[in-house]
Amino acid sequence: MTDHEHYEAVVVGAGPGGAAAAATLAKHDVETLVLERGVDAGSKNVSGGLIYAEESAPYTIDDLFPGFREQAAERPVTDYYIHNVAGEKVKTFDITDLHEHDTEWSDAVLRRKMDSWLADRVHEKTRETGGGLLTEVHVNGLLRENGEIVGVTCDELDPIRADLIVAADGVNSELARDAGLMSWEEPDEWFQGVKAVVDVPDVDERFDLGPDEGAAHLFSGDLFEGVRGGGFVYTNEDTLSVGTVFHLDSLVAEEAEPHELLDSLLTHPLLDDWIGEDYEELEYSAKLVPDSKKVAHESPHKDRLVLVGDAGGQMQAQGPIIKGMNHAVTAGALAAEAYVEARSRGDTDLAGERYATKLDREGVMDKLRPTRYELASAVGENDLATSIADGVLRSAVGRFGVRVLGDRLENLYSSPFLSMLAPDTRTPYVTMPTVIAEELGTRVTAERTIETPDLADRIGDLTYNTDVGNPHIELLDNSAEASGAAVSACPVSAKDFGGGCYREETVKTNGDEKTAVSLDTQPCVECGTCAIVADTDWEHPQGGKGVEFREG
Amino acid sequence: MVEFDPTEHEIAEIGPEIKDVDDPDELREMLELEAEGEDRAPVKTLIEDRIEKVEDDEDGEIDPETVDLSEMTVADIANMVRDVDDADVLRDILERETEGKERSSAISQIENRIDSVEGSEEEDGEPAVFKPPEEKYPELDHPTNDKQWVEGTVGGDYRDMWVYCETQAGELIDVSKEMLGKARTLMDDYNDEYGGSEDGTSSGEDEKVIAVLVGADASKHVEDVIAYGADMVVYHEDDRLERFRHKPYTEIMCDMARAGGPLAAEGREDVDWKEYHEPRYTIFPATNNGRDLSALVQGELDSGLASDCSGLYIENEMISNPAKTGGTSDKKEFERVLHMKRPDFSGFEYSTILCIDKPNRDFHPQGASVIPGSFDLPEPDHDREGEIVEHEMELDDEWFRVDVTEYDQLDEGVDLTGHDVIVALGRGIGDDPTRGMELGLDLVDAFDDADLGITRGIVTSSYEFEGHVEQYSAEERQIGETGQVVEPDVYIAAGISGAVQHKVGMDESDTIVTINTDTDADIRNFSDYFIEGDLFEVLPRLTEAVERGEFAKAVADGTGGKNDD
Ligand SMILES: Cc1cc2nc3c(=O)[nH]c(=O)nc-3n(C[C@H](O)[C@H](O)[C@H](O)COP(=O)(O)OP(=O)(O)OC[C@H]3O[C@@H](n4cnc5c(N)ncnc54)[C@H](O)[C@@H]3O)c2cc1C
Ligand SMILES: Cc1cc2nc3c(=O)[nH]c(=O)nc-3n(C[C@H](O)[C@H](O)[C@H](O)COP(=O)(O)OP(=O)(O)OC[C@H]3O[C@@H](n4cnc5c(N)ncnc54)[C@H](O)[C@@H]3O)c2cc1C
Ligand code: SF4
Repeated sequence: MTDHEHYEAVVVGAGPGGAAAAATLAKHDVETLVLERGVDAGSKNVSGGLIYAEESAPYTIDDLFPGFREQAAERPVTDYYIHNVAGEKVKTFDITDLHEHDTEWSDAVLRRKMDSWLADRVHEKTRETGGGLLTEVHVNGLLRENGEIVGVTCDELDPIRADLIVAADGVNSELARDAGLMSWEEPDEWFQGVKAVVDVPDVDERFDLGPDEGAAHLFSGDLFEGVRGGGFVYTNEDTLSVGTVFHLDSLVAEEAEPHELLDSLLTHPLLDDWIGEDYEELEYSAKLVPDSKKVAHESPHKDRLVLVGDAGGQMQAQGPIIKGMNHAVTAGALAAEAYVEARSRGDTDLAGERYATKLDREGVMDKLRPTRYELASAVGENDLATSIADGVLRSAVGRFGVRVLGDRLENLYSSPFLSMLAPDTRTPYVTMPTVIAEELGTRVTAERTIETPDLADRIGDLTYNTDVGNPHIELLDNSAEASGAAVSACPVSAKDFGGGCYREETVKTNGDEKTAVSLDTQPCVECGTCAIVADTDWEHPQGGKGVEFREG
Repeated sequence: MVEFDPTEHEIAEIGPEIKDVDDPDELREMLELEAEGEDRAPVKTLIEDRIEKVEDDEDGEIDPETVDLSEMTVADIANMVRDVDDADVLRDILERETEGKERSSAISQIENRIDSVEGSEEEDGEPAVFKPPEEKYPELDHPTNDKQWVEGTVGGDYRDMWVYCETQAGELIDVSKEMLGKARTLMDDYNDEYGGSEDGTSSGEDEKVIAVLVGADASKHVEDVIAYGADMVVYHEDDRLERFRHKPYTEIMCDMARAGGPLAAEGREDVDWKEYHEPRYTIFPATNNGRDLSALVQGELDSGLASDCSGLYIENEMISNPAKTGGTSDKKEFERVLHMKRPDFSGFEYSTILCIDKPNRDFHPQGASVIPGSFDLPEPDHDREGEIVEHEMELDDEWFRVDVTEYDQLDEGVDLTGHDVIVALGRGIGDDPTRGMELGLDLVDAFDDADLGITRGIVTSSYEFEGHVEQYSAEERQIGETGQVVEPDVYIAAGISGAVQHKVGMDESDTIVTINTDTDADIRNFSDYFIEGDLFEVLPRLTEAVERGEFAKAVADGTGGKNDD
C-alpha cells in the first residue's frame, strides 16, 4: 500500500459547514485536518448575509462557537420587510413574523470577517487533535484505492488519506462532482446571487436603528425585467449588503445582465434615502446558490466521503428567506457526530449512512426538500398553469381580489406554509408583487439617482492574485450555441464589454462569418455560473490564487 | 484451529482481518492453510508481512540488559542503544560485546552513545577535551582525510561577502544583480555595525562585496557588476568556459577563495588583493547551475550550504548547543552570523539556517544559494568605482573531459522593454484582426527602434489570425499588470480602452498617443494625444507620416495626418 500521510478526518473547505464539522470532530478528539483554498478563510465566500439559528435545529453556530454573535457577526435582524415594486409604486409588507418563525436569532454577517474568525477557532481546536487548518491548499480531487474513495489529492500537497472526508467545499464542490454525487447540468437547479457591499457609515440614523438592531428588506416585482428572483438590503455595522438572487434558468432565458439587475435595485428610489449622496461600493461579488428543493442530495455520501452544506445542495430558499449557512452548520455537526458514533462502534465506514439518517431524523431533509413542495410544483411549475395564474392575477377579477384582500395579503405573505408552497414560476416572483404594487402601492420618488460603478471599475476594484499562464477554466466549445449564454450570465461579463471573462466575437474565416465566444479567466470571481451555462472544464484556481474578497 | 481461514475470503477482506492478529503462530497456521488451499501469492505476502511485523514488534520489546548480543546485527545494536539513556547499562552492554563477538563497529556505536549520554549530563560546564579525529578513531580511514584543510581551519581569518554572478548566453542574469544589490546593503550595514575586522589584527578596513565572474566573456560584465554594487570583481576568462561545467568552475572558484591566504594550494603564488583564509560569506544563485556549483564549492571549502534561500540578514546570535559552544552549559554569543531564511517544501513555513564554527573546526564561508526574484533588482550606478582583478590559473584539460556537444535554448519570450517606441493594439482590431495586426507591424517597421505590444483582450480572444501574424498574438507580448511593464518614449495605443490593468503596464511612457473611435474611452484620461478615428484608417496614415519624418506633426493635428493627404 502506498504510504500517504493519514489523518482520521480531512475537512475540505472552511466555510460554516466545514467549521462546524471540524469543531465537532475536534471536540470528540478526532484527529482533523482542515484544508482551505483561500489565502484566508472567507476570502472566497459570498453570502447575502443573514445567518439563522433555528429553534428546531439540533446545532446552531453559537452552540459550537461561543461568542460568535458578539465577535463575528454584524447586527441582529429586528425588522423585516418585503417591498412589492411596480415601477415607482411600492407596497411594503412587514414580514417580521415570517422571519421570526422558528427563529431563535438571526444576524447579518460579512463572510471574510465571519469565516476568518471561525477559522482561528477551528485551527486552535483541531491543532490539539494533531491536525490543524491549512489555507492556500486547493483540493483538486478524490484519492481512490481499488475504486474506493480513501482520501484527497491537492495541488499543493501530496495526497492525504483519511477515514472520513468531509466535502464542505461549497456550491461548486469539485469533490461532490468527482464522486458523481452532484453535477453542473441544469440551470433550473441553481440561483445566482450577486451582491455589492456599500459603505454607509451612518446606518443607525438612516435606518432608524439602535446599536443592537438591524433591518432586512426584500424586494420583488418588476424591478428585474421579468427575471424570476428578488433583491435584498441588509444592514451591517457600518455598511449595507445589497444583492439580488435569481433563478439561473430565468437569467439565461432573458439574457439578463446580472450587474444591471443589481444596478436596478441599487438605483431604485427606495434605496435613495438609505444610501445617500455619495455612493461608495466597497466590493462587488457573486456566487451560485443551490436550490435544495431540487438538488439537496438525499443520500449525500459515498465510501468515506460525506457532503455538507452547499456541496450537497443543502441551501433552502424558503420563499424570500434564504437559509444556507445554518443548514451547513447543522449538517457539518451531524456528519461529525455520525463519524464519532460509527468509530465507537468500530466501523468508521458506517459514518455516511448514519449521517444521512441523522439528516432525516433531525428534520433537516424535510426542510430542504419539503414534501408539500413536491406536490405543489407538479402543477405550479407547468407553463400553462403559470400563464393562467398570471392571467387571472392581471385580469380585472384578479386585481379586484388583490384589492379586497388588501393588507390581509401581508398575513398571507407571512405564512411559512405558503412560502414553502410557492412554485418557482413568474407568478410569486414577478406577477403577484407587481399587481400588488400596482393596486395597493404608493409612489416613491427620489431626488437623485445614484451612480453605480461600471463593470470595468468593479473588476478594477477587486483584488486578484492571478495565476498567470494557468487559467482554471477551460472553454471546451467556443461556439455561441454551446457557450454564448455565459456572455450575459457571467456576472463579470457583458455583451459589448471587452474586459469581461466571456466575450462575443465575430470570427471571419474565408468569407465565412460566425459568432464565437472567448474566455479570459483573470476577472473571474469564481461564481460557478459558466460551469453550468457554458461548455467548460471548470476547476477552482490553485490555493491562494484568483479573486480575494475582503468583505464577502 | 485458527479463527480465520483465509481460503474462505476475498483478498480485499484479508488485510483488515489479519491486522489485529498478533500471534505469529496463528498467522503461520493461516499461511499454511492458504498454501495448501487457494495458494494465492498476494495473500501469502500479506500474511508473511504481518508475521514479520508482529515479530518485529516483539523484538521491539527486547531488554537491553539481558539480550543476547551475539544474536544481533550491528545495526540492531545501534538502534537499540539509541534508546538507552543509562550510561551504566550501556557500559554493561559494552562489556558484553567486548567479551563476546567484539565487533569494532558495534563497540564504537556503544561508546558513541555513552559519550553522548554522559556529555549531556555534564553540569559543571567543563569544556570537552578535543581529540582530533585521527586520534579518536585510529582505525577509521577518515573520509575527509584527503582534505588537507579540514583540521587547518580553526580560528581562521575570514572576510568579505562573495557573490557568484552567473551569466547565461552571454548576459548577466537578473538574480546576479539582485544578489549584488542585497550584498551591498548587507555589507554597508555590516561595516556600520562591526567597523572592519573581527579581532582588530588585520587592518580595520571595511569589508567588501566581491563579485566572482567565470566564463568565456567574463570581462564583458565587470563594469556592470560594479555598477550593481560590487567593490571588487575577480574574474576568470577562458574560451573553454563558454558553457557551465561544474568541475572547472568549482576548481576556479575554490582557487579564488583560497588565493593569497594560508590555505592556498602549495606552490600557489601570493596575490596582492587578498591575504585572508577564505571568504566570510558566499552567495550563489539558486538556478540550475548555481545550485550545482554552490554545493560543490561549499563542500570543497569544508563548510555548509543553505540552499534555496529567500531572505538573508546578518546578526549576532546566542547559541546554547554544546557542540558549538564547546560543552559549556552557558550560552555563547556568536557574532556576524549570516541568517539564511528558506521556505520549506510546502512554502508554509520558514527555517532560518545558521552556519556556525565549532570549537575545533571552522565552518566558513557561511554560504547560501538564493531563489531568483527574492530580492529587488537594484538600480545600477554606473559612476561607482571598483577594483578589477583578473584571476589566473592553469586549467587542467582533465577538467574538460565532459564536453557539451549540443544544446537547446529555451524560448526566452519577447522583451518589450528598452525600445523607443511601442505600438500597442487592442480589441479595436476585432473587425479584421489580421489586417489590424499587419497595420500595427507596418507602423513598427517605420520606426528605427520599435516593437509591437498587445492587450490581454487580444491574447485571450478567439480571433483567427493568419499564420504570418499569429505569433504576435501570444501572451509574451501582453502589456499590463499580468504582462510586461514598458516605458518607451512614445506609446501608440490603437483600439485599446485603457483598463486599469493595462494602464499600469504603460502609463509611465513619456508620450502616449491613442487612436480610438470612442471619445469616452478611459484611455483618453491618460493620453497626451487622442486621435479620434478608426484604426484601420489612422494607422496607415501614421505610418506614412513617420516615413515622411512628420510623425509629431501628424499626431499633434489630432487626425494622424489626414490633412496632409
Ligand atoms: C448572494 C448570496 C446570498 C445569500 N444569502 C444567504 C443568507 O442570507 N443566509 C444564508 O444562510 N445563506 C445565504 N446564502 C447561501 C450561503 O452563502 C451558503 O449556503 C453557505 O455559504 C454554504 O456554506 P458552506 O460551508 O457549505 O460553503 P461555503 O461557505 O461556500 O464554503 C466553502 C469553502 O470551501 C472552500 N473550498 C471550495 N473548494 C475547495 C477546494 N477544492 N479545496 C479547498 N477549499 C475549497 C471555499 O474557499 C470556502 O471557504 C447566500 C448566498 C449568496 C451567493
Ligand atoms: C486581474 C486582471 C489582470 C489583467 N491584466 C491585464 C494585462 O496585463 N494587460 C491587459 O492589457 N489587460 C489586462 N487585463 C484585462 C483588462 O481588464 C482589459 O480587459 C483589457 O485590457 C481590455 O483590452 P482592450 O482594451 O483591447 O479591449 P476593450 O476593452 O474591448 O477595448 C477595445 C477598444 O477599442 C475601441 N475600438 C473598437 N473598434 C475600433 C476601431 N475600429 N478603431 C479604433 N478603436 C476601436 C473601442 O472603443 C474600445 O475602447 C487584466 C484583467 C484582470 C481582471
Ligand atoms: S467566468 Fe464563470 S465562474 Fe468566473 S465569474 Fe464568470 S461565470 Fe462565474
